[in-house]
Amino acid sequence: MATTTASLAISSSDLQPGNRLSINASSLLMKTGLTEGLEILDAGTGELTVAMSTKKLNDALGTADTSNWMYLANHATDDTNYIEVGLHDTIIGRLYAGDWMFTPWNMSDAAAEWSIEAEGGTQKYEYAFFKSTYVLANSAQANNSDGTPDVNP
Amino acid sequence: MATTTATISVSSNILSYPISINKSMTMKRAGSCHGLEETSGLNSKKVESVTAFKLFGNAEATVGGASKVYVRNSGASTTDFFYVGYGEDLGAATIETIGRLYGGNWMLIPWDAVAATSHDIFAKSSTAEPMHIEYMAFIE
Repeated sequence: MATTTASLAISSSDLQPGNRLSINASSLLMKTGLTEGLEILDAGTGELTVAMSTKKLNDALGTADTSNWMYLANHATDDTNYIEVGLHDTIIGRLYAGDWMFTPWNMSDAAAEWSIEAEGGTQKYEYAFFKSTYVLANSAQANNSDGTPDVNP
Repeated sequence: MATTTATISVSSNILSYPISINKSMTMKRAGSCHGLEETSGLNSKKVESVTAFKLFGNAEATVGGASKVYVRNSGASTTDFFYVGYGEDLGAATIETIGRLYGGNWMLIPWDAVAATSHDIFAKSSTAEPMHIEYMAFIE
């Protein structure tokens, strides 16, 4: 069984005067049902330009209502640049230069895709999806001996 | 100017070679080198109902800002969880549901508090048994 651990540390000595902030959290990321570790990883890097408009980062091609996780980081260095992150048609938030996010992903239905859009300038990003399940999309290529496309059952 | 840092570390052996993610960020205001200066404070809540409840209202933050939201299921249950998402109708096939937080799971996301109740953030327990959740917004 694969083991994936996600840890977080948030700290500030001056956000709340007189009350030093220190949050530490760590958890194992498991499949829905929590008896098995996640076994599917989809990760990479990319570059977004403003001209690209909104781009799909990941489709909800797994089983709906399951335990999946997304990590996304904006590697830009210009403080005025940001990536707008969306889930389906809902704007989640702005990931400014240097920011990262980590969130569960329910894959509520097939429309629950993640999208990203660069604002202000070209930006490099890094992502990782840890998933419970995944279904490969059908290929349009002919791969049967008679030249007809294979069709998944 | 306040300085708040958040560091994530993820390690995994899903592949045949180790995966490791390590990244820190300083929470800054939108388009600025200055840090976020406001917060909801760290909240902790005991939940004994499957009725959705509001964690953060859109009016608490600035539209188009660089606010961030932290939520953690501070319990230990391996079977029960909190749905977290937008609006009160959180559930399995509800598109505004972001995801599930089982015992110990946490999330940290940006929050564009669009000036509408559609961008209020809610949580909903999967059980009426006692569950605990902690949450905090870093606000612009």
